[in-house]
Amino acid sequence: MKTLAGWILSSPATLAVSLFLIIPVAATISVTFTAPGGTFAPYVDFFSSGFQRTVLWRTFEIAAITTVISLILGLLTAYVVSRSAPWMKSVLIVLAVFPLLTGVVVRSFAWLIILGRNGVLNNSLEWLGVIERPLSLLYTQTSVVLALIYIFIPLMILVLIGVLENIPDDLLQASASLGASPTRTFVQVVLPLATPGLIVGAVLVFTASFTSYATPHLLGGTRQMTMGTFLHQRAMTSFDWTSASTVAAIMVVVIVTTVLVMTRLAKRLNPMAS
Amino acid sequence: MKKLNISRIAAVSSAALLAASPALAQDRTFTVSWWGFNGDALQEIIIEPFQEMCDCEVIFETGNNSDRLSRLQLRGGEGVDVIYLTDRFSQLGIELGLFQPIDRAQVPNIDELYDLAQAPQGEYGPAYSIGRVGIVYNADEVESPITSWDDLWREDLQGSISLPGITTTAGPMVVLRAGARAGVDAYEDPDAAFAEVAELQPNVLTNYNTGSEMINLFSTGEITVSMAQDFALGRLQAAVPSVVWADLEDGAIATLNTINIPTGSENVELAHQFLNFVLSEEIQHTLAVRGVDAPVNAGVDLTEEEAAPWTYGDEMISSLNRIDYVPLNANLDEWINRWNEIFGM
Repeated sequence: MKTLAGWILSSPATLAVSLFLIIPVAATISVTFTAPGGTFAPYVDFFSSGFQRTVLWRTFEIAAITTVISLILGLLTAYVVSRSAPWMKSVLIVLAVFPLLTGVVVRSFAWLIILGRNGVLNNSLEWLGVIERPLSLLYTQTSVVLALIYIFIPLMILVLIGVLENIPDDLLQASASLGASPTRTFVQVVLPLATPGLIVGAVLVFTASFTSYATPHLLGGTRQMTMGTFLHQRAMTSFDWTSASTVAAIMVVVIVTTVLVMTRLAKRLNPMAS
Repeated sequence: MKKLNISRIAAVSSAALLAASPALAQDRTFTVSWWGFNGDALQEIIIEPFQEMCDCEVIFETGNNSDRLSRLQLRGGEGVDVIYLTDRFSQLGIELGLFQPIDRAQVPNIDELYDLAQAPQGEYGPAYSIGRVGIVYNADEVESPITSWDDLWREDLQGSISLPGITTTAGPMVVLRAGARAGVDAYEDPDAAFAEVAELQPNVLTNYNTGSEMINLFSTGEITVSMAQDFALGRLQAAVPSVVWADLEDGAIATLNTINIPTGSENVELAHQFLNFVLSEEIQHTLAVRGVDAPVNAGVDLTEEEAAPWTYGDEMISSLNRIDYVPLNANLDEWINRWNEIFGM
């Protein structure tokens, strides 16, 4: 009876998830298995192209680098914020969240202004005498990664603040009283306890970076095409929906696999993470 | 009692019908799919007078060529009564079976158009405006003037060019010009044409997909040269006054903007009326004078000043190079892959 009630109560949510998540994704992916040429022909076509393999690897690389740097910077920032006085904590959280108040396009565009040939960075370096002529900083992998870190690090910080705040001060004091240095306490006490937050933050940042479109489009251009911009090209300008669906399916597989690997890794690092 | 009720109901129903009939006429909607540029001017010059003529409400779908054509394809040709596209994309729409032939008897103003605008793609939509694809450059930054398509390959332009992306209207023209430079037909010998495109690669900072992107690249100083359509020149010069249109000895390339009636149009007769209205000498003249579109109605007479921004007049129009989009679209998939290999690796 209890089970039946559970099923009935959860049915609206199940229906919503099916309608708005599972069915659209399944419909998108199913197209790739009914294409002319064989069940896996679109996937064979995708992986037989050096360019397309490069795009996939480049996207993975950009997402991975963004995630790792965001993890490091986010953890340090969140640790400082979580250990601050309450009034200072509020100020720091507002500052961390502030960039989220504008759209991704605006935040990406800000980096065009910073990294452009006549941008803030080039002008400053020229004024300081470090360079004689402007550097070409846009349309590189570095510019895409920088902007993605800026855009997604608030997510990481917010997630980690919540986790780090829940680590009792008693534990840190106990660690110190047993002779551990602050660094050792951070590595051996704080870090394992923060693992669930790190995994959630990493998954959020990786997924968002891997699927991002506007930032790679604006700061990477055609030279740094990623899976998002490539998917747009296939669907909206080449009208090749099978190929676009194949790209989408590969993106789903990469993301799901990465999430599973990270969750497994988290379990090994900290069994509580499960 | 029963009789009274029936007569009351009949009277009320008749009154309701009479009251509703004007509303029903105004409830008829006519959907126009276009880019969305110059919205205020088009509203005043085309939409408001046409709404009075048709006693209908005109609604819009806006976006770039590919987005709108893609949406139309997803809807199986339905949801739009007329669609504005450049000729590369209208040819694609024809090949996808999304447009219906135009009944030219219902659009007598087609006879007044320049020959190349009357039936640029056979029985389908006429052109309502004409433009050019050429080269624009910042005269303050480029040492010697650009006078030929081959100048794009000049060594002094390294890292300073933006080309239109291969999936835009003008993008495939780069390949055709590269073929011409190699002395081959790009359709027959794509290897030779793309070898020239690869030689151009060091000069290219990035490719752009919209006119606005190209203007941004100029205004932020990222590029000094680009291949562009002439409709963007006004906005470009407003942003960077030192940008000029190159006078190319080997000629600019014509682009025709067409209007088609999709297969799923629910107002086919009205769509023909719309075409006839837009192609009339009066509307074409007003659009040109107001800086919206170049006229293709041969009867439109412009002063030198009014004609300055436009591809206008027999002499200029006959000097343009034309593109056959049938073989271009047939080769485009392979060209996109080759292009990506050069610019995206």
